[in-house]
Order: sequence, then C-alpha cells, then structure tokens
Amino acid sequence: MNSMTPKLVVEGLTHYYPDEYTGESVHALEDINLELYEGELVSVVGPSGCGKSTLLNILAGLLPYKIGTASVDGNVIHGPGPDRGVVFQEHAILPWRTVAKNIGHGLEIRKVPQAEREKRVQEFIDLVGLTGFEDKFPHELSGGMKQRCQVARTLCSDPVVMLMDEPFAAVDAQTRITLQEELNRIAMATHKTILFITHSVEEAAFLADRCLVFSARPGRLKEIVEIGIPREQRNWTNMNDNAIFIAARDRILASVREEVSIAVEE
Amino acid sequence: MTTAVGNLSIAIQRRFGRQRLRKIILGSIPFAVMITIWHANTVFEWLPPVFIPPIGDVWEAIFFLQEDCAGFVALVMLDNSCLITTHVFSSIGRVILAAIVGLPLGIAFGILCGMSRTLSKFLEPVGVFANSISGIAWIPLAIVWFGVGWVTTLFIMLNTIFWLMFFNSMLGVRSVAKVYEESVLTMGGSRWDVIKQVYLPGAMPSIITGMRMSMGFGWRALIAAEMIGGDSGLGFMIFTSAAEFKIEEVFLGVIFISIIFMATDKYLLAPLEKWTVERWGLVWRPT
Repeated sequence: MNSMTPKLVVEGLTHYYPDEYTGESVHALEDINLELYEGELVSVVGPSGCGKSTLLNILAGLLPYKIGTASVDGNVIHGPGPDRGVVFQEHAILPWRTVAKNIGHGLEIRKVPQAEREKRVQEFIDLVGLTGFEDKFPHELSGGMKQRCQVARTLCSDPVVMLMDEPFAAVDAQTRITLQEELNRIAMATHKTILFITHSVEEAAFLADRCLVFSARPGRLKEIVEIGIPREQRNWTNMNDNAIFIAARDRILASVREEVSIAVEE
Repeated sequence: MTTAVGNLSIAIQRRFGRQRLRKIILGSIPFAVMITIWHANTVFEWLPPVFIPPIGDVWEAIFFLQEDCAGFVALVMLDNSCLITTHVFSSIGRVILAAIVGLPLGIAFGILCGMSRTLSKFLEPVGVFANSISGIAWIPLAIVWFGVGWVTTLFIMLNTIFWLMFFNSMLGVRSVAKVYEESVLTMGGSRWDVIKQVYLPGAMPSIITGMRMSMGFGWRALIAAEMIGGDSGLGFMIFTSAAEFKIEEVFLGVIFISIIFMATDKYLLAPLEKWTVERWGLVWRPT
C-alpha cells in the first residue's frame, strides 16, 4: 500500500485562530503531519477542543491556513474544491431540494448531462438504501436518512478524498450502529479514501484502518493505532469478541483519557 | 327530507374538504355580521343614507359608473367613459408595474447586503432612514417633482415596496445556516451557485413575508397617493366621489380595494408560499 503515492498529504501544519470573544490567539494545531493512501479509512479522535474539526475545515478549504502545507493528489489546498467531499455533522442537505436533486447537486454544478447524472444518482441512492425516497424533501426523512443522503451526495461527486466531520454524532444510538455498519460496507464497495473525525472511540476503532489520536490543545499527533481487521469481518455482532478490536479500542481509549485529564486540569 | 339534507351536506364536505369548509365558514361569519348590520341600518334607518348607503345603491353604482362605456375597445383602452373599470385597471396596473420593478430590486439588494457586511453597513442606515418615513409622507414632494399622475403614484409605491423587500430579504439571507453555503462551496460551487441555490431559496420564508407586507403596504400607499397625487385609480375615485357626496361610490371603491387585495393574497402569494417554503418544510404549519 505504501508504495503508492498518498492521496492526502499534510506537512508541518500549525494553526492559530483568534478567539471569537476575547480576540486572543488560540493555538489550535501544532506540527501536524499525515498521509492518507488510496482506499484507506483513517479516523481522528481526541479530547474536545483538540483541533480535529479545525483540521477538517482546513482540509475542506473552508479555513485558510498559513503554516505548513496540505495537498490532495499533489495539488496544494487553496479554498474548497470538488476533489474533497465533506460530510458535515449537521443536516447539510438543502431543504429545498429533493433527495435525488441533493445527491446529484455536485454533478449539476459540474454540468454533467442530465441522463448521466440521473444514472449516477440512482446508483448512489440504491447504495445508501434510499430507494423509493428519490422525490421526498429532507424534512420528510428521519435523521439517519438525512445523513445517508449526505453521504450519497458526497460519494456521487466522486471526490479524491472524503472528509467526514462527526457525521453520526447527531443521530440516536441504534441508527448510529446501523450507519457505522453501512459506512463500512460503502467503504468496501467504493474503495474511497476517507478521513473520519469522531469523538467516539468505539466508532473510530470499528471503522478505521488507522486511528490518529490527537493531544489536548494545541492538537498534536500523539499516537497512531493500526487496526488490521479486514472490512468483511467488521460488524457489530462479532466485533465485541474480536481481540484486535478490543485491544485497539482499549489502547485508543487509554490514550484519549490521558489527554482528557490533561485538558481538565488546565 | 332529512336524509336529503344530510346527503347534500356530505357531498359538500367531500367536494371542499372538511377543514377547508370549516375555514371558509368561520372566515365568512364576520362579513355576514357586517352585511347584516349594514342592511339593518337601511331597514331601521339608524343612520341616513348619506352616511351609509343601502347595499342596493352600491351595487347599482357599478352600472351607473359604467353606463357611458362605449364598448369593449373603450374598456380595454381605459377610456374615461368606462369609469369603474378604468379606475380598477389603472390601480391594478400600477400595482403590477411597481411589483415588477420594486420586488426584484429589493430582493437583489437585500441578498447582496445579507451576504456582504461592508455593503450592509453602507446601505442599512439609509434603509432605516427611508423606512422611518411612511410612504405617503413623500406625496407632497413627489407632486412637486413629478406632478399629478402615474409617476408620482409609482414613486410612492416603489418607496414602500423596495425598502420592505430589501430588509426582509437581507434578514432572510442572514438566517440561512452557514453549512448549506459550505456544502455548495465544497462541491465546487461558485458564489453565483451559492446565491441561486442557497441564499435565494433559504431566504424564501422571509422573502414571502416581505412580499406580503410590501404588497399590503404598497397597495395602501397607492390608494393614498392616488387620492392626492393621482388622476385615476380607485383612490382617486373614492376621493372625488366623497367630495361630491356620492357616498355609494366611496363604499364601492373601498369594497373593490379589499376584494382585489384579498384575491392577490389568496391566488398569488399564498400559492407561492405553499409551493416553496411549505413544501420544503421551512415553516411551522398549524395542525
């Protein structure tokens, strides 16, 4: 895998931002280096305020950065672009578009002909299990379906890297488990390169090939935990008996808790 | 007999729908009461006809005012012989003209100011200044500038429509969740895509409220403007008829004004609301 060139490269990324109220400079990220290879799902966990969302916003191009470099497929990131698809935590699909029109939105922006667009849209509607809901508006969908729609929208644009910002944090526990299993299936089917931000250690260990643990603010890359479980074996019925999963989860949890206690002491 | 009435009632309910029928009946009651009192006044002669004319006289005023009409061509050409249709059409024409010019301009500037802090700092104070002056306060000045006629009435209406539309659209854009804009940008969308696909539909609840308000206030301003600065239209008709003590024509004018406005709201603005914000689930719907 490492013989290939990485899809996403971050080198020496350090970031400060002014606090919204006090105006003081906040040191959010310190010397972040990471590489994402094709087909890899990498999760990022860390205590609240460790800068993981800041990192995602920088990679999405929504937040300008000055120190260090970040590039996708060799192109340095300057602003948002269709080579990086983002799945947001909130319900980000547009309420005034139907499910099908939301999913085809990226292709519509790129002026892909309608016939081809419709074919692709149907493919991803089927993939995320929204068949039959094509003409519904988002307010007619459940929270979990909205997030599936968002995942389909991002996949349909076929980005080089998919950035997911705590996408399942706002849904109920039952739905979250289903969505995690579905994302695993989708990652297997599409072979997408995914960076997955979460604060759930279980989720990180369940989904990721590699899990990056961030330190308390300023966010540094503290530890990388490899989780070598084939995707076909990942499902919640047998994961809790899987020794590799349990070891990885406990390792990540211990590492994060250390940081949380540091963050609390400050 | 009772079953026949029952069947008829069920048939009517099926035809209109129970809820809608309820709404129509409840909404008509105040009008029915008003009309009854009006008619009772004529029967019992509480107030003389010079204050409150009989319903029949108001009805007949329509035909009286239209009496000299020289046929279809004169009617369409807004000939002064076809008095009532000329007044009605010239008022409606001005409203349409003002709406075509004022609404899009107000929406466009409102969206731009909602997007740009700098631009809104530049235009907002002027807007507050302009909004503090009621539309009709401009009438004397407008008469000096444009004379009596359609330019003056258009100016008064635009003054009302534009600023209301401007403020509502601006607030609408500011209330749109940032994540919608971000998701269009991350899919490779341009500023223009964001305006078309996010700001405009996202601000729709506010824009429709703005349309309702500006058409309501604009219509009122028009009537006032026509009274003083107009040479035709329903406001002008009411004013001149009152001066000649033709009280039934005043009543007729007032009734026409409200009917036209109610029709605009019901057949243009309400369907627009239903087709957009209600379908998108952006409004709270009473159950």
